[in-house]
Amino acid sequence: MATARKTGRRAGGGGRRRRPAGPEGLLETVEQARAEEAQLLELVAEVSRELRLEPLLVRIMETVTRLLAAERATFLMYDRDTDELWAQAGQGEGLTQIRFPARVGIAGHVFATGETLSIPDAYADPRFNPEMDRRTGFRTRSILCMPVFDREGRVVAVTQALNKRGGAFTDLDERRLRAFSAQASIALDRAHLFEAFLEKERFENSLRLAHDIQMGMLPKTVPEDSRFELAARLMPARSVGGDLYDVLLEGDRLFFVVGDVAGKGVPAALFMAVTKTLFRATLQAEPSLSAALGKVNRELCRDNERSMFVTAFAGRLDLRSGEVLFGNAGHNLPYRVGPDLSIQAVTGAHGVAMGVLADHEYKTASLRLEPGEALFLCTDGVLEALDARGEQFGASRLVDHLRATARAPAEVVVREVVSAVEAFAKGARQFDDITVMSLRYTGPRRPEGRARSRR
Amino acid sequence: MVITEDREGGVTVVALAGRVDSLTAGELEPRLLEYASGRAPRLVVDLQGVEYISSAGLRVLLCLVSRLREIQGELVLCSLTHSVREVFELAGFMAIFAVEPTRPLALARLAPR
Repeated sequence: MATARKTGRRAGGGGRRRRPAGPEGLLETVEQARAEEAQLLELVAEVSRELRLEPLLVRIMETVTRLLAAERATFLMYDRDTDELWAQAGQGEGLTQIRFPARVGIAGHVFATGETLSIPDAYADPRFNPEMDRRTGFRTRSILCMPVFDREGRVVAVTQALNKRGGAFTDLDERRLRAFSAQASIALDRAHLFEAFLEKERFENSLRLAHDIQMGMLPKTVPEDSRFELAARLMPARSVGGDLYDVLLEGDRLFFVVGDVAGKGVPAALFMAVTKTLFRATLQAEPSLSAALGKVNRELCRDNERSMFVTAFAGRLDLRSGEVLFGNAGHNLPYRVGPDLSIQAVTGAHGVAMGVLADHEYKTASLRLEPGEALFLCTDGVLEALDARGEQFGASRLVDHLRATARAPAEVVVREVVSAVEAFAKGARQFDDITVMSLRYTGPRRPEGRARSRR
Repeated sequence: MVITEDREGGVTVVALAGRVDSLTAGELEPRLLEYASGRAPRLVVDLQGVEYISSAGLRVLLCLVSRLREIQGELVLCSLTHSVREVFELAGFMAIFAVEPTRPLALARLAPR
């Protein structure tokens, strides 16, 4: 009948194999113990080196097979999603991949109860599931099966050794298997951490790639023309962000746009890419700025399931007159900065952010820049940058910096504002994307036309 | 970011407190969208305790109102502080949301006619 022995701390007695007595036998035992210790140490070292799970488990189970003089040793992992036990690493006589319901058979019993089982004759035990033998062509005789616990004491896997050569598994075998199971448990823990780390690495790599693609979408150089100065910079909060800017010179007209997609990360970056492309295509093709904004908006509203939206300030500077036609789609107000240190918020033509109301009509307004006057545009990452104590950079700090750089070249304005925000937010993590653009109208071309534009 | 829920008549009142920015929007979105279920739900979102809202926060509210509209639900926002109201105005969102100055007024707006 069922001769299974429930083993554990209390278990003792029967089936223990006697060591050979006498000096020779003793020497053999000592040497064997030493060899085992060495193997275990080697394995421990390997656990610390080998972070990939599968090869490590294969190694552990190989060692178990050898040390226990078993025909096969299997490490059965619990799969929470399917409620199954499956062999991560089987070996011995042929590698197998097996899966079965988590409560079936001897391993299932061990998994469910957390008890260790040593069974000298599997077929005599009613809990034994011969299905696996039928499938693999293996003939199970004796089984030693033991739970593997995680740090919280949950059973996460089961180790089993099959078919002890020359008899049943002994208490010593059980102690050995317990030592290996403990190692396997550590290996599992480390491997999970390592896999989580790898996953994060892969994710960050793809983010880096996305960042490069996104940065590649921004104008690499700013068009040069003696009639204006323009500088812009974008610094994403994460590897990818939702800010955008673009500049386009066509004859006597300079188009410029600064935008800010709500949210951050990959969804915002994708929406940014679409917005940027739409702007470029429409601003060129559509003579009316107001109609261009309407078109971009309608496109962005289409299939916008996640309610993404983008705020944008778009303008067109006439390089002959200094006249700026602009539209504001829910964006924060730009500043007009005079060489007399006057700073004025640019109001008017303020509409709804894009991507929200498909039929929204965007109005435009205009202002006229005198030679030497500049426009400063930014995204709310500048105004809402936080310092280490949680205070916002705010409009008044920005205005101070704009006044201090009112007569400086556009490139200097951009650099100063960016470094002021960075210095302010030092110690706090960058919260939002930061984009700044400074555009100064230097005046119409002189009649002699000395400085022809390089295109 | 704290979210508390009340029932007043047939209306669910959700009060938000703290900062609603891109760090907290991720947590807020699924929790708020849970209210956009069932048949024609009526919802008040009380923003009294919100000290700051970023565009990421606006997006969550925008998501909520469009889901509610799909199922004939209604949303009224109330008790916007001055700075929060400014963010709504800047983005042009006062035209998109039903906004009331106080919670009782918001509830009155949703009262069955």
